[in-house]
Amino acid sequence: MKVSKPLFTSISLLALLMSSCAFDLINVKQVPAQLEVPLSPGNSFELQEEVTVHLPAGYSRLLKKGTKWDFVGTTAHGDVYKTKDQVLTVEASNIHEAYIVVSSGKLVGFYLPVERSFSPTVPLSLPMQEIENDRP
Amino acid sequence: MKTACRLALATIVVLLAGGCATSGPKFTEFSAVLGPIPADAGRIYVYRLVIAGAAVQPEVRLNGEVVGRAVPMGFFYVDKKPGDYELEATTEVTRKLSFTLEQGQQRYVRLNISMGFFVGHVYPELVDDDVAQKEIQNCRYLRR
Repeated sequence: MKVSKPLFTSISLLALLMSSCAFDLINVKQVPAQLEVPLSPGNSFELQEEVTVHLPAGYSRLLKKGTKWDFVGTTAHGDVYKTKDQVLTVEASNIHEAYIVVSSGKLVGFYLPVERSFSPTVPLSLPMQEIENDRP
Repeated sequence: MKTACRLALATIVVLLAGGCATSGPKFTEFSAVLGPIPADAGRIYVYRLVIAGAAVQPEVRLNGEVVGRAVPMGFFYVDKKPGDYELEATTEVTRKLSFTLEQGQQRYVRLNISMGFFVGHVYPELVDDDVAQKEIQNCRYLRR
């Protein structure tokens, strides 16, 4: 069977496009992490300025000014804080709810509570103000 | 030729309108009569705003169980025990959202549409309560 040159080119191009359309290739980089939960409530802090975090997959996330972050536990990578003041997720092909991981005053990554894993990011200073824990 | 064009246009309109067939009550009306969250559960609202790609209405699964469909300008809800959840919608690919649910908590998941190779992709996104409560107002309840 003889295939015309334009048809052959079109089929080759389509095959090339389809092979490069592997939609699920990008995953959030993560490693298993064990969260040690404290017996008594830990400290909390308020974010003094908004902070933009650039995720490795090209997305970014905004940590809003004035959000209160509560200590929920510790991992080998740092202390884990969550907030009720905003939704926080990390994203690649899929989206995962995330808490922040702080070490020496810097955001070092995210704890993914469903996956029980740590997703690192480029360390970023957080303008934190410790607050009394009687604030609701 | 003119008649054929008109027929094609009419067919497209009917198909699009059919795709948006959400006849249930609006969220504003529905929420007024909706019962409280059961004491041992949290509530997950799932909604879709985007009409583009109206013919693409995949099933929505929560931890593998079909809980609804991604219908434009429609919403549904499920009450579930606190725990870890994975919500997904599949067209030519599967897009997943993982999140936790606490007792008494309400979570809002918006179903967004993005370009695909042959059909659009539906990807679920967790939305801040204040944003979602505004966006969902005009969505209509999808009966299961």
